[in-house]
Amino acid sequence: MPIRSLIVGLLLALIAPVAAHASGSVALKSAVFVERMATSPDGKLTVELRAAETVSPGDRLVFILTYRNDTDRPVPDVVITNPVPAPVLYEGAAAAAALVSVDGGRTWGPVADLRVADSDGQLRPARAFDVTHIRWVIAKPVPPRATGRLSFRGTVK
Amino acid sequence: MRFGFTWTVRGLRPGQVLPLIVASATIGFAVPAAAAGTAAGTTISNTATATYNDAGGNPRTVNSNPVDFRVDEILDVTVARADPGDVVATPGSTDQVLAFTVTNNGNGSEAFRLTPVSALGGDQFDPTTTSIVLDSNGDGVYTPGVDTVYVPGTNDPVLTPDAAIKVFVLSTIPAGAADGNRGFVDLTAAAVTGTGTPGTSFAGQGDGGVDAVVGTTGADSTDRGTYLVQDATVAFTKTAVVVDPFGGTKRVPGAIITYSLVANVTGTGTLSNLAIGDPAPANTTYQPGTITLQGTALTDGADADPGEFASNAVAVRLGNVAGGQTRTVTFQVRIN
Repeated sequence: MPIRSLIVGLLLALIAPVAAHASGSVALKSAVFVERMATSPDGKLTVELRAAETVSPGDRLVFILTYRNDTDRPVPDVVITNPVPAPVLYEGAAAAAALVSVDGGRTWGPVADLRVADSDGQLRPARAFDVTHIRWVIAKPVPPRATGRLSFRGTVK
Repeated sequence: MRFGFTWTVRGLRPGQVLPLIVASATIGFAVPAAAAGTAAGTTISNTATATYNDAGGNPRTVNSNPVDFRVDEILDVTVARADPGDVVATPGSTDQVLAFTVTNNGNGSEAFRLTPVSALGGDQFDPTTTSIVLDSNGDGVYTPGVDTVYVPGTNDPVLTPDAAIKVFVLSTIPAGAADGNRGFVDLTAAAVTGTGTPGTSFAGQGDGGVDAVVGTTGADSTDRGTYLVQDATVAFTKTAVVVDPFGGTKRVPGAIITYSLVANVTGTGTLSNLAIGDPAPANTTYQPGTITLQGTALTDGADADPGEFASNAVAVRLGNVAGGQTRTVTFQVRIN
């Protein structure tokens, strides 16, 4: 696929209206991009994000979630949760406020506060590769018609 | 490595998505994943969920669209010599075995074509490769008649991700190869799906119909095995000391002749089952019980010790004698 159309595809993916969900007044859209090396016209190596269609082990992924308040009033208490797909190694999130879980979504916190049992049963500090879920608690009510974007990174195991 | 590159994310305002905070804590910690990575053909699916309270205060849950994408098959292979060092062989010997390990470093099942090359520079002779044998019983050693002879294109070994197989290359060593000579054989394994520069893609040819993509190894790999010729040669010398009945050294009837037979083995190899035989000369009579080996007396009978006198000849079995060693046999006759 020509790079130009990929870029257009990326553009559309990012700006396309979030499909309104029949049951609610908040819509959520998920998009996954993969980093691809490319050589720019001036010969510099660049990294481009392209929509993930096929990937390889070791590929770096960017997950982008877009939420939108489709109502005319503020919506409070919005919490967005994304289970990290099993073949993906969590690498970090854009917002420091993101919470993670290392136990399948039972407990949450910054990764530095969490513990996991090692193979010998000893608890050790959790690492990014232990993360099973990521969660954002939107602190303020989402204003009417407002859109927000969240993102995190992963690597294909 | 990311830091060495320029970001290009067209269609986004700078800072809108990037930079991301990236945890560097993974570096240096073992990640529980197979070396080959996620299996080829795996579908990765991502769905997020939002919860909130609606205008009536009722909790609501909404799922995002799922995003599905598949994992390509990476073609990677490694060939490594499995012998601890040079394989020692003698000139003219056949079925001399070089062992290699072929490992599928890719993330899909892949067949590998095996090719030996022995016409190489830097060595002193070209081994003649007579067959390649697959370690089909998996015991790691060449078992004639049990392990399967490899036929290119017919039984190219198919390896699952991270799996390995031993491969044996059997060669004949030229009769003219000299002691200390080396002969190389290079074994190459190449992914049957295809090889090329890393990143080369074979559309739809991976497991489950995904693309197959050449990995960092180029989807082929070669390693070198070496035969080292160790040969030995023996030189015999025979000397005689005469003692006549009068205390002199004249060859007269009644004089005793002590023969010394010296076998001097040279070279880096070993001579197997070396033996010395010497008939008693005409007009002499062997003196019973006079055979010695390295100064130790041997009996004349055909028994456990290595010497005997039979059919009017002395015979001593020296066994295996390595290069650099000498064996000395003596016996006595009397002049008739």
